[in-house]
Amino acid sequence: MRVNEMGEPAGGPRLPWFVSFLGRRLVWAFVTLLLFLTAVFVFVQVWVPYSWATQFLVGGSESYQAALEAAGLNRPIPERYVDFMGGLLRGDLGTSFGGEAVVDLIRDALPVTLMVFIGGSIIGWVLGELLGRIGTWSRRPFSGAGIASIGVLSATIFPPFLVFLLVRWLRDPLLDAREAMGLPRDSLELWRGAVTGEPGALTPGDVRWLIALGLCAGLAVALVIRAYGRRHQLPLVEGFAIPAALLGVGVGIWLADLGPQALDLLYRVDISATTGRGTPALALLAVVLLSFGQVMLVMHAGMEAERTEDYVLTGRAKGLTERAVRDKHVARNVLAPVLAGSFLTFPTILAGMIIVEYELEMQGISSVLFDAIEFQDIPVIMGVLVVLGLIGIGFRLVTDVTIAVLDPRQRRGGA
Amino acid sequence: MTAISEPVTISARASRPRGRSILFHPKILAGLAILGMFVLLAFAQPILDGNLWEGKSNIYDPQFGFDSTVTHPSAPSAAHWLGTSSLGRDVFSMLSHATRPTLLVALSAALAISVVSLVLGSIAAYRGGWVDGFVSHLSDAMVLLPAMIAVFILGIGRPDEQFGALQLGISFGILYGLGPATATVRAAALTVVAHPFMDAARIAGGGGPWIISRHILPHLYAHAAVQAMIGATGAVIADAFLSFRSAVGEDVGFGQMVYDGIVWSGLLAGIAATPWWIMLAGAGAITLLAAAFYLLGVGLREALDPRMREIGGDWR
Repeated sequence: MRVNEMGEPAGGPRLPWFVSFLGRRLVWAFVTLLLFLTAVFVFVQVWVPYSWATQFLVGGSESYQAALEAAGLNRPIPERYVDFMGGLLRGDLGTSFGGEAVVDLIRDALPVTLMVFIGGSIIGWVLGELLGRIGTWSRRPFSGAGIASIGVLSATIFPPFLVFLLVRWLRDPLLDAREAMGLPRDSLELWRGAVTGEPGALTPGDVRWLIALGLCAGLAVALVIRAYGRRHQLPLVEGFAIPAALLGVGVGIWLADLGPQALDLLYRVDISATTGRGTPALALLAVVLLSFGQVMLVMHAGMEAERTEDYVLTGRAKGLTERAVRDKHVARNVLAPVLAGSFLTFPTILAGMIIVEYELEMQGISSVLFDAIEFQDIPVIMGVLVVLGLIGIGFRLVTDVTIAVLDPRQRRGGA
Repeated sequence: MTAISEPVTISARASRPRGRSILFHPKILAGLAILGMFVLLAFAQPILDGNLWEGKSNIYDPQFGFDSTVTHPSAPSAAHWLGTSSLGRDVFSMLSHATRPTLLVALSAALAISVVSLVLGSIAAYRGGWVDGFVSHLSDAMVLLPAMIAVFILGIGRPDEQFGALQLGISFGILYGLGPATATVRAAALTVVAHPFMDAARIAGGGGPWIISRHILPHLYAHAAVQAMIGATGAVIADAFLSFRSAVGEDVGFGQMVYDGIVWSGLLAGIAATPWWIMLAGAGAITLLAAAFYLLGVGLREALDPRMREIGGDWR
């Protein structure tokens, strides 16, 4: 609607499309972020009926007042709002009622969550897209009904039950696989230095960041090589760029002598979990299973609707292979709306992941969140919500850019 | 009725022949069938109480029932169709008893979602300008505050009298309604106000409330219904998790049944068999009920608009 009014500026030097596009999206992100932070503040400070101080109600109104004062909860709401926003500007999320800085609490918990959430939802997305695309086009009998039932099951299964099934069936095989890979049955042995506080010892956090950065760099290089291969009609280069890059990162980690540690991060039994149920591999699998269904369903409906389009007939008449019609023409048309819609399913997947993490007793964001709810720790609750929102905005920006790359019509539109 | 303009058919495409009711869409049919089953189930316990279980409320009461002739948890049998829980309660009776509050959660959430998204979406599209800008940014922002996590914060550790089915449903509905639902309905409303009949209505001298209620809202009900159903899915799962998380004492809930089974099998791992019946009854009920609403939402969306491209356009 607004696309027509916001045409290219007449005359003047022309910026590449992505500069103005990115600029507009960043302005959008900033305004949305401001509103989001205000919403979080209103939700937690006004709507949520408890505060840390209500625990002291049993001690009489005097100790209740003292607790309110200590927590700064007796100040007027506008003053607290200004404090909250000002603190955020300095990157300060406040202090938990237990005395730790909220930023520190979250920073310790974030790597596990990010790995599980980003890894799980990307794998889930790719899997859902693949199954929806191929399953729909093949037109085998019952493929439509099969896709619908599996997709609905994935979108509606009760996460704690899914986790129970996964732990029951896969925990022992995973532990056996650990041993088969030459890892000690107990993660503690690999990280002894970090646990005893030896200076300069390798911590799980270091290794996680190293892997994450390595993966990002490897994928960036692979994408460039892939684009080169596509431009110069080298199908082999195009096809193998990403697998080769992933393999390269793996070999690099191995050569750097971090192999056991890296594997342990995926198959570990958490150091501090008393029951040792949580292995990130299981959490990753659970998030994949929770997220792939919705993508698959939307992809299925989109492919089904495009099947009767004229350009499909044209493609076949030109003698294109069925695969080329499916992947290069139909799927590309369906993909952009599927991506755009995935932003709206993001909160569901996030909530599912929070439950999965909690059930697996992993030391991630959800343990911080649920502990905070238990102790009515308002600053921590707010901090966790803010961080989840920031992840969401990042997620949205990435999908927006991807859509614009896929579909040039989207490049000029604003919000 | 004549004042209502011709509804904007989102798509007049081949996949829905003219005149054929959308109720014949397989997903909608399946959703309605499952939902009907749950409505029957909700009435099963009170009816059985008056007939088959007459005078046996000490055995079949969903909260306090206990059958002293069997050891608990017991597997499904003629006396206990779905077995008994570890506390000795009849699982079928619990299932039926827990259905009513869960249906209430889903329906109140659906209603709240519809009201919030219709009001905000239609006003934003009609007024345009800064009102529209504010609503669109607000809904983008509220998408980032997941309703499910928000109701955990509101509900965990609070007894049912303070945060029962109705409060849960309405809180979830408001939060979800402000976020994804308003985003979708507003986008649909924007395409409605671009039509020429809007100018005609203005020239005819129509005021804001009249135009919104007679010319904009009728085109938006279907979009709001899709969002209401998909939102209700989340509300059912959120309710189940709250019941799972705060499973104590006399409460009866789907999530609590799953909890009962998981705890029991954890306590007696390797000693007694896992009481699958109670876990499957709870988890199956959650998934089926959530699936009913999800199928209704997805089915409505596909029946109304098989071209996902346009839906994608809406979602932006």
